[in-house]
Amino acid sequence: MKIMQSMRGQIAVGVSVMLVVLWLLAVLGSAFVIKGEINESFDAALQETGERILPLAVVELIGSDGANGAQRILPIAQHDEKITYVIRDAQGAILMYSHDADLKVFDRVSSDGFFTTQDHRVFSRSAVSGQYTIQVAEPLTHRQNALRETVLAMLVPLGVLLPLTLFGVALWVTRALRPLAHLSVALRLKGADDLTPLKLPFLRSELVPIQHSANRLMARLSRTLEAERAFAANAAHELRTPIAATLAQTQRLVAESPDGPLRQRAVTVEGELKRLARLAEKLMQLARAEGGAMLGQGPADLVPILQVVLADFARGAVGRIVADLPKGAVPSRLDPDAFAVLARNMIENALVHGTDQPIKVALTADGTFSVANDCPAIPPEVLSTLTMRFERAGAQGSGSGLGLAIAAGIARGLGHDLVLRSPVANGRGFAVALKLT
Amino acid sequence: MRILLIEDDPGLGNAVRDQIAAEGHMPDLAPTLSYARDLLATMPYDLILLDLGLPDGHGIDFLKALRAKGSVTPVMILTAHDRITERIEGLNAGADDYMVKPFDLAELSARIAAVARRYAGNPNPLITLGALKIDLAAHAIHGPKGQIDLSQREWIIFEALLQRPGQIVSKSQIEDQIYAFDSEVESNTIEVYVSRLRKKLGKDVVQTLRGMGYRLGTP
Repeated sequence: MKIMQSMRGQIAVGVSVMLVVLWLLAVLGSAFVIKGEINESFDAALQETGERILPLAVVELIGSDGANGAQRILPIAQHDEKITYVIRDAQGAILMYSHDADLKVFDRVSSDGFFTTQDHRVFSRSAVSGQYTIQVAEPLTHRQNALRETVLAMLVPLGVLLPLTLFGVALWVTRALRPLAHLSVALRLKGADDLTPLKLPFLRSELVPIQHSANRLMARLSRTLEAERAFAANAAHELRTPIAATLAQTQRLVAESPDGPLRQRAVTVEGELKRLARLAEKLMQLARAEGGAMLGQGPADLVPILQVVLADFARGAVGRIVADLPKGAVPSRLDPDAFAVLARNMIENALVHGTDQPIKVALTADGTFSVANDCPAIPPEVLSTLTMRFERAGAQGSGSGLGLAIAAGIARGLGHDLVLRSPVANGRGFAVALKLT
Repeated sequence: MRILLIEDDPGLGNAVRDQIAAEGHMPDLAPTLSYARDLLATMPYDLILLDLGLPDGHGIDFLKALRAKGSVTPVMILTAHDRITERIEGLNAGADDYMVKPFDLAELSARIAAVARRYAGNPNPLITLGALKIDLAAHAIHGPKGQIDLSQREWIIFEALLQRPGQIVSKSQIEDQIYAFDSEVESNTIEVYVSRLRKKLGKDVVQTLRGMGYRLGTP
């Protein structure tokens, strides 16, 4: 049940169920007490009735000759008789009875006091040294009706109060939990990469420790990520200069060596150094991409960043790239350096794996960045593995096998997916796209 | 061209310096910014190759100070800083180009030539001078009778004149182009090389303006 998945629903239902149970227990307890009180009152009334009628009946019986047998007392006016009675002599013979008395109810002689038959409460009292005895009976249904009506009267308000209570509890709980809802919304809206502290000034005292703990955790995570990022950046920086020096010295060695085996060996070393440089670069980019924290300090325009990246490629791939950039700015939360790495890797991937047909690089005004190249269609089972590390499409792949893994890592850091498509048109082509806003 | 290379890593600095020298330029290597400032105070340079992370300061600050003083000397940044924001900062500070280490020396040479051509007012590496077709990037000259080979110093003098068409280039400016900062220059060396250029390219290729210097002519 959806309502039971929220604290508000749980509290409202829990309070209401508890209220109903307690109310029912209270009604049950009251019913026991009331039943005793009703019996006591009805018994007192029955006794009073019997003791009041008995002297009058005795006077009347003494004044009569008793020759006519059991005398039925006729009513003054027609009515349903609630309390009936009989007068017996010392031998138990019925001398007199009330007009509606059911003699089956009075089927036995009893000593003074109360007794209960299957459906009546009976009171007996003797007078004149046991010469006359009155038995007064009242149906038990009277008492049962009284008890039922009393209990019902106690239950009816519960039926009205229960929905009102549910509504009131829900309303109150909603108000009381509003700060918790604010905290929940604030956490939900933060996004995966937003590690700035939560600032909720009017938080309830119970929630302040949660806010402080969350902020401490995010600060710690931020420091860790920053240290990782700094390490990746510093390691890349520190590696570049010795690699550059070694490569430059090797290239000078190639230039200054006479033709022969030594020169060939130097050329081989130069090639391997370039490969090492590319791999180190890609691994550092991958470490940075998978470290998360891809959001910049604030929204930044992606267009000039892409223009710089495209200018770099224009030197080495003249005429191979067709760019489609919007006229206006495309602000994005993505860190500008991360976008440059993303764009460079996607374009490099297209250059390495595409044919010599132009590569289409597009950035739309709504922030979708895409790169498409011509190539034979890539089977779906291969397509789904291309964002894995060291995966290359086809045997002719000569790239590092990390370009799309880096792009996918950056996409994940931004909270989006890299969308790969193949074929793009006419049964050919490969396209990769990503929403950056 | 006389090029100031500011690089603190001796392995890289020496290799780049040798490459530049092999291309026919006159490089001076400065391992610190203070040494570079001293060199700049003494000698005009046609190009500065600038590393960013240097022992006595940041290259961007040096570049900003240079531009603030009104210097228009082209500057290429050679750095291990690969972030796009640093690159944009470098270009905004007045750099003409930006190369991230490790780089290919051949690409460095090509970009140096491109920057030099931009400053000479002709970014096109192919120049036609009378019957001569000159490829500045390839250091190749084609005349009516085929390819003409120039020595390194002949090329330096010819390129200095090509970069300033119609302008007078003084003898001392050409001397600065030819010799390293601490080399000695003999008094008639320039005349000897100008004479050889006229012999190879045509007598009108270099005009002599007595007491003032030389100017590019049309062979």
